[in-house]
Amino acid sequence: MKVNKIFIVILVISLLSGCGKRQINELALVSAVGIDQGSSPNSVRVTVQVVRPADARGQTGAPAGGTGEPIYSVQAEGKTIFEAIRNLARFSSRRVYWAHNFIIVINEKFARAGIADMIDFFTRNPELRMNTWIAATPNPASEVVSTITGLEVVPGEAVDKLFRYNEIVSEAPRTNMTRLQESYLNEYTHPVLARLELKNRGISNKKPEEFGSLKQIELSGTAVFKHDKMVGWLNRAQSRALLLFIENVDSGIEVITCPDLPNQDATLEVKSQSLHVKPIASGSVPSFHVDVSSRVELSESGCLATFNEMRGYLEEQMGNRVKEQIESLLAAAQKKYKVDILKLGEIYENEYPSEWRRIRDDWEDIFPQVQITIDSRAELTSAVLKITKKKIPRG
Amino acid sequence: MDNLEKDITDSLAENTNIISAILGDSADINKREFSFGQLKGVCFFAAGLANTDQVSTIVRSFAVFGEHQDASGNRTIQAISRSLILNTSVETKTKINDGIKGILSGDTLVLLDGYKEYLLVETKGWDKRGVEEPSTENVVRGPRDGFTEDIRTNTSHIRRRIKNPDLRFDEMTIGDKTNTSINIAYLNGTVKKGLVEEIKSRLSRIKIDGVLESGYIEELIQDAPLSPFSTIQSTERPDKVSAALLEGRAAILVDNTPFALIMPSYFWEQLQAPDDYYNNFWMGTFFRMLRYFAFLTSVLLPSAYVMLISFHQEMIPTRLAFTIASGREVVPFPVLFEALIMELAFELMREAGLRMPKPVGQAVSIVGSLIIGQSAVQAGLISPFMVIIIAITGISSFAIPSYSTSFSIRLLRFPMLIASGTMGLLGFTCAFFMVMIHVLSIRSFGEPFFSPIAPFSASEHKDILVRVPWWAMVKRPRTASGELRRLGAGQKPKPPSTSEERHEGE
Repeated sequence: MKVNKIFIVILVISLLSGCGKRQINELALVSAVGIDQGSSPNSVRVTVQVVRPADARGQTGAPAGGTGEPIYSVQAEGKTIFEAIRNLARFSSRRVYWAHNFIIVINEKFARAGIADMIDFFTRNPELRMNTWIAATPNPASEVVSTITGLEVVPGEAVDKLFRYNEIVSEAPRTNMTRLQESYLNEYTHPVLARLELKNRGISNKKPEEFGSLKQIELSGTAVFKHDKMVGWLNRAQSRALLLFIENVDSGIEVITCPDLPNQDATLEVKSQSLHVKPIASGSVPSFHVDVSSRVELSESGCLATFNEMRGYLEEQMGNRVKEQIESLLAAAQKKYKVDILKLGEIYENEYPSEWRRIRDDWEDIFPQVQITIDSRAELTSAVLKITKKKIPRG
Repeated sequence: MDNLEKDITDSLAENTNIISAILGDSADINKREFSFGQLKGVCFFAAGLANTDQVSTIVRSFAVFGEHQDASGNRTIQAISRSLILNTSVETKTKINDGIKGILSGDTLVLLDGYKEYLLVETKGWDKRGVEEPSTENVVRGPRDGFTEDIRTNTSHIRRRIKNPDLRFDEMTIGDKTNTSINIAYLNGTVKKGLVEEIKSRLSRIKIDGVLESGYIEELIQDAPLSPFSTIQSTERPDKVSAALLEGRAAILVDNTPFALIMPSYFWEQLQAPDDYYNNFWMGTFFRMLRYFAFLTSVLLPSAYVMLISFHQEMIPTRLAFTIASGREVVPFPVLFEALIMELAFELMREAGLRMPKPVGQAVSIVGSLIIGQSAVQAGLISPFMVIIIAITGISSFAIPSYSTSFSIRLLRFPMLIASGTMGLLGFTCAFFMVMIHVLSIRSFGEPFFSPIAPFSASEHKDILVRVPWWAMVKRPRTASGELRRLGAGQKPKPPSTSEERHEGE
């Protein structure tokens, strides 16, 4: 009987399969992972931040025992990352599950030694997602991962939101696994990673007089890599300039001293910035022309001058400020680290493919000598209706 | 019993004996002998089925006749029936068989002395349930009358809606013992070609001792006898039957049940409600979409949840995953088992609520919801998410207008659940595809069950996923025969054109 055969096949399949699979509450859901150098130079220490669902949810309604902490952070060491992760199973009562990981934090020391095997592991494993954020930190990664930070119940989620909404300050690149791998696999462009740092920012409700007694994670700055090895940091201003090259910048502020009062400032809010790079093929060393235009608004002014009086001055200062930032970035990239993190090679390749083929093998040597001219303009569009002069008695 | 096939004789005593012998001395068969002047006779009728007023009218008319007539021998029985009987319908018969059937369906058999024929007077009149609102397919806007157990009342409902000589009811009798009358209703000239013949040939094949409900007939003439889906639609609503007749389909009415059968039937139509056509077309379309969604939810939701929780945790959005994990933290069962328990508990509650007397049924639902909804979660036996999933599934299955379809969905849910609980997405997909392949392969009286989606028929999409306004529904479905256009040209209402207005103003 055909029906009987089908029935038997279904029965056998359903009895044989399904074993070994875990329900969602039998998994240790990792929300953040930190990678440090182990106790011996050749080993790696992996710290995982595991969500404790019963406590991460707040009021459960069901009897929830335990410490009340939303996360459970543990670490294990091994010669390779995978071995370290397997060693976690020695004390984790649940299977470590990576698919919901928010962020991978890499310690500076580990990064300087090279992250090739880490990129390989985190892209090879199908359980890991390519949209996981990656950041470097000068602090021990274990400390960053196990710190309770932000408003979210799960700290990993707080860092995730930090990345998602970081366009408000625009001080760190939004680097995830896809981007890291993309620039890692590209021979001529070098990777960058966002910088996470623990700072004493939080104020304890119980001891408000001890300012900054709680450590919080701050996202600001950039780590520069040469191939897979970290070579150094970029500061905030340089990171902002870098974002103009590799991402879009539509927010941020600049503080500029008043034209009439030396100890008073006007604050400009960036509404949009656009950067165009025009490569120029000339001889063996190409040159580039960078054209930046910024649209800003006046958002805070301590100056006596009216909007109309200040406008030209502010636009000029703003233009210069952006130019300075880019120059500082170029100095770091070309002179200090000697790595093309600006994707200039890519731009050149797209514009002049045949010329690029001639110079691409020497690009690492050519890049530091490349001439880059900068043209920066700013346009101050709105003063939000307050255009009259301030009336304060001179002291 | 060979007497049944005989004709009656001209001896009253002999005839009376034969009929009495056939009927036995059953308590409900009444015999009324009368003798007026030279006229002697006997009336046979079934108590409760025949209206006693009507029977006494017969006797009274013979009494008048007997007093004023000296000789009766010179009158033919036809003359008697024409000039004497005051009742609405009289037949003259000779075969005993016909007379017995007549008695058993409420008519009165009148034997007269000296005649080789007898009279069969229609005196049907038994206690009927009044016309009530149908209990299965409720509407907010639309007619409230439903079919009853009486087949003549039911045909009258349809006739009242379609006052057309083309509306035909073809009578058949099925059931060797029950002799149940069955009417095939159709609109002559509009009905799909060959449909009535096909129905008749399928019905005439039936050899069964009794038909107590239209479900018997449905299962005996269905195209896909093993399918959980029913390819014949059953309804209690005369307006639904009338609409089907206008679309060129046919209906079977069975005596003693308020459920009529409509054929051919399509899958989509079982998710459509009469309200769709009576309300504003925007609402009709929205509610229809809602019901399609409810159908999918009630079939797939528990399986999708079980599949995600036990196999594909990476497919759940992260925050939701944390919340679900926290809800399941204390639950001791695997999610498949949990789902099966809850499904069974839900079905149990529904069934118990249905079977219990109405006042007790409420108690069942209160206790059930309290235990399942509250205590099971608090005790940590069931996760709150599972309660929500099962509740949504249950509500969705109640949103399906056709009772038989909502049953087939209930049945499909369990294999789907087991397949996705044991094999994850693979099992889920395979089970879903098996159901789809099955649905796509079955037919209903020659029409593909999934039509007009598959096979695709663009012209009929005005009434499947959406319900277009009546002024745009120009044609009948292509299965109907005869004139396909059901609407005159330019039926869309619009304000009078400006030139007309000016003309009126002058």
